[in-house]
Amino acid sequence: MRKKNGYSILLAFTLIFAVFLTGCSYEEPTNSSNGTSDSKTNESASKREEIKVGLDVDAGTMDPRLSKDTTATRVTELVYDGLVYLTANLEAEPALATEWDNSDPTGWIFTLREDVTFHDGEPFTAEDVKYTYDSLIDPDFQAPYASLFEPIESVEVVSEYQVKFNLKDPSAPLLNYMDIGIVPKHIGEKNDTTLSNAPIGTGAYKMVGWDKNSKISFEANEDYWNGAPTTKKLTYFIIPDNSTRVASLESGDIDLVHSPLSPQDIKRLKDNDQFVVEELEGLGFTYLNFNQKHPILADLKVRQAISHLVNKEVISADIYQGMDTPGTSPIIPASWAFDDSIAGFPYDTDRAAELFKEAGWEDTDGDSILDKDGEKLSIILSTHSEDPNRMQAVEYLQNEFTKYGVETEVQTSEWPTFSTALQEGNFDISLVGWLNLIDPDRSFYNPFHTNGGSNYGKYSNPAVDKLVEDGRTALDLEERKSIYQEAAKIVTEEVAYNVLLYQGYIVMHNKNLKGFDPHPRGSLYGLKNAEAIN
Amino acid sequence: MATFILKRFLQLIPVLLGISILVFFLLHLIPGDPALTLLGQDATPEDLERLREIMGLNEPLYIQLLVFLQNLFQADLGMSIFQDTPVINLIAKHLPATLELALIALLIALIIAIPLGIVSAVKQFSWLDYCSMFFAQIGVSMPVFWMGLLLIIGFSVNLNILPSFGRGEPLFEAIGQTIQTGNFYYVMESLKHLILPAFTLGVMSAALITRMVRSAMLEVLKEDYIRTAEAKGVRGIIVIIKHAFRNALIPVVTIIGLQFGNLLGGAIVTETVFAWPGIGRLVITAISQRDFPVVQGCVLMIALIFALINLIVDILYAIINPKIQQV
Repeated sequence: MRKKNGYSILLAFTLIFAVFLTGCSYEEPTNSSNGTSDSKTNESASKREEIKVGLDVDAGTMDPRLSKDTTATRVTELVYDGLVYLTANLEAEPALATEWDNSDPTGWIFTLREDVTFHDGEPFTAEDVKYTYDSLIDPDFQAPYASLFEPIESVEVVSEYQVKFNLKDPSAPLLNYMDIGIVPKHIGEKNDTTLSNAPIGTGAYKMVGWDKNSKISFEANEDYWNGAPTTKKLTYFIIPDNSTRVASLESGDIDLVHSPLSPQDIKRLKDNDQFVVEELEGLGFTYLNFNQKHPILADLKVRQAISHLVNKEVISADIYQGMDTPGTSPIIPASWAFDDSIAGFPYDTDRAAELFKEAGWEDTDGDSILDKDGEKLSIILSTHSEDPNRMQAVEYLQNEFTKYGVETEVQTSEWPTFSTALQEGNFDISLVGWLNLIDPDRSFYNPFHTNGGSNYGKYSNPAVDKLVEDGRTALDLEERKSIYQEAAKIVTEEVAYNVLLYQGYIVMHNKNLKGFDPHPRGSLYGLKNAEAIN
Repeated sequence: MATFILKRFLQLIPVLLGISILVFFLLHLIPGDPALTLLGQDATPEDLERLREIMGLNEPLYIQLLVFLQNLFQADLGMSIFQDTPVINLIAKHLPATLELALIALLIALIIAIPLGIVSAVKQFSWLDYCSMFFAQIGVSMPVFWMGLLLIIGFSVNLNILPSFGRGEPLFEAIGQTIQTGNFYYVMESLKHLILPAFTLGVMSAALITRMVRSAMLEVLKEDYIRTAEAKGVRGIIVIIKHAFRNALIPVVTIIGLQFGNLLGGAIVTETVFAWPGIGRLVITAISQRDFPVVQGCVLMIALIFALINLIVDILYAIINPKIQQV
C-alpha cells in the first residue's frame, strides 16, 4: 500500500511538472541586459548598442582624488573631465578649461567652459574646481597623489568661470597633472560615500552600475560638451585571469582587452586576422634598484660590473617575447626628453670581470664565487610574485650572476610585503617598475632626490638634487630637456638604477570594433568615438 | 535531538572566537602595511605616518584586538579600508555567488560520483570499474586552473555555446523569474554561466567521492546481511540500494560534508579563472591589499559556514544511524 502511495505522488508531480512545462517558453526578453550573451543573439543588427571591455582588476574607490588603481582611472576618465586633457603625445589640451594664462609663473589663471553640467544636472563652476584642488592639497584628505600637487599654495575663485592657482614656486610638470577629474562640490561636501561608489562627473559617460568584482556599466552622456559618444552603452568586465580574458575576446564575449597580457596570447592573436593587435610604447620602465647603503653595493665599480652581467636583449626577447624593449635610462622613449645617446651598460662579461678585479673582488679559494678579505660577493635579488615575467627575469639573472662569481639568492614576495621592504630600504637589488610617467619629473624627483619620497636605494648626489629641482621650476621645454638628459646620464653612470626594459602597451580588439584610438597611458577615453559592428 | 543540536550550537561560540583571534594575529604578523598599499609609491613618509594614525595602526596590537572583538560582539565587522563600504555588505554581495557555485558543483559531483562509485563496487575489476577509477585519478590530479582554461577553449572559443566568464542572473532569482513569466530563458542563461565553473570545481570532489563510495560499498557488500538478503531472493538492485548503499552512507556523508567546505574554500582558483564574483576573489584581493577588516570578516564567515556544515553532517549521522544521538 505504502509503495502504491509513493508511485501516485510521483505520478502527480510528473503531471504537474508536465503541465508547467507546456505553459513555458524560451525566448529572449526584449529589454534583457543580463550576462554576456547578447553578442551571440543580436546578430542581425549591424551596429551594436554596447561595447564590452575586459579589465584585469576591479576599482577600489571611484573618487578621482582618492583612486590610484588602473581600473578606477579608466572609470574616472570617462565619468569626469579635468581642466586639461592629455593627448597621446602627452601634451595638455583644453578640456574643462578653455584657456589658461601662466604668464605669471606663480599665478595661473584658468578660464572655464560655461556650457557644462554635471550628470545630475547641476552646473559646473569655478567653485567645483576650487573644492577639488583644496581637498587634494589638504593633508587630512589623504590623496595618494597629493605630492604631485604640492606646488599649489592656494586656489582662488576669480569669477564664476575663472579660477586662479597660486603656486609656491614655478612648476613645469603641474599642468600635465591637471587632467585629474573635477568633482561636484555640492556632492563632495556631504562627506558620504557617494563619490566613492556612484561617481557624478561631467564626463562622456555616466556610470550606471557597479557589481563589485564583476562589471561596471556606463551609459552615454547625451549632453556631453565635447559631443555625445558614438555608442550608447559601455561595460567593463572584471576578468582577473590573463588567459581567460583573451579567450573571452576570442569567443566574442568581449570586444577589447589590453595590457597586462601573456606574451604567448599576443603571439596567437597576431596570427588571427579576426583581431587587431596594436603595440604602443608605454609610459613605464622596469629597472634594477641598487641599494646604495649595502656594504658591497656601495662600491660603484661593483654596481657597474653587475650591470654588465645583465643581458637585456635576452630578457626582452625570451621572457617578454619582444613586448617590452631593452632600456637604458630613466627617460622613456615616449617622452620629449628621450636621449638615445645614453648607452647604459651593454652585456659584457669580460668588462664585468675587469671591474670586479679593480674593486678587489677575486676568486681566491676556487669555489667559483668572488671574494675579498675573506668575504664572499653575495647579494639578494628580490621582486614581487604577482608578475610572472619579473619572477622569470630574476631567476634568469640569478643564473647569470652566479655563473660569473656573484652568489645570488632570489627572494620573491607578494606586493605588500615587497613594497614595505622597498620603502624601508630593506633590500640589496630589487627588480621593480614605474608606470604612468607623463612627465620626467615623476621618474626623477622622488626616485633620485636625496629627500625624494621613493628614493628607496638612498641614492644621493648634490648635482642630481640640483638638476631635478631645476627641472621642476624651469618652464622652457628645451631647458628642461637638457636638465633631465644630464640627470639621466649621471644616475645611469652611477648605477642608481639599471633600467632593464621600456614597457610596451598592447591593445587587442575584435576587428569589428571601429574608431578606437589607443592611448599610451592606457586610457580608454578613445572609446567615446568607437563602435562595434556585427 | 533538540538538546543535541543546542549543545553543538553552543560549541560553535568558542570555535569562532578562537578563529577570529588566530586570524587577527596571523594578519598582523605578516609583513605589509595597509597605509602603504592605500597611498602607493608616491606617498611621503609623513603621509604614511598620518594615515597609520587615522587607521589606528599605531595602537598596540592588544588594543587593536580589543577594539576588533568589541565591534565583533556588536555584530560590526567594520569598514573596508579600500572600498569605503561596510564589510558586511561586501560579504552579503559576494557570499551568495560562492554558495551557488559550491552547491551546484556539489550536485554535479554527486550526480557523477554516486552511480559511478556504486557501479564500480558492484562490478569490481570490470572495465567499468577501471574506467571510473581512471576518471577518479584524472579528476584528482588535474589542476583546476588548467581544466578551467581547457573547458573555456573548448566550449566558449571553439564551440561558442557557453559564456567564457562571469555570473548571469543569480540562480534563485532566475528560477523566480521563469516561474513568474513561464519563460525558460532566465534559468537557462543563469545555468549557462554556471555550468563550466561548477563542473570545473565539482570534478575533483566527484573523483574523491567516487573513490569513497566505491570503497565503502565494497566493504558493505562483503557483510553477512547482504548474503542473507540475496539468499532470501531480494532483487539485486534493491539489495544494492536499500541494504548496501544505505549502510555505506556514513563515511560518504562525512566526505560530502568535508567536500562542501573544500568547495567553498577551493572556489578561489575557479572564481579567478572564470571571473566569478564570489567571496574567494574578495578575500584574495583583500589579502593582497592588507585590507584587514575584509579578510577577518570573510574568514569568520567561511569558518561559520564550515562549522554549520559539520553540524548538519552530525545531524544527518543521527538520522542515518540513530545510535549516534545517544553518544
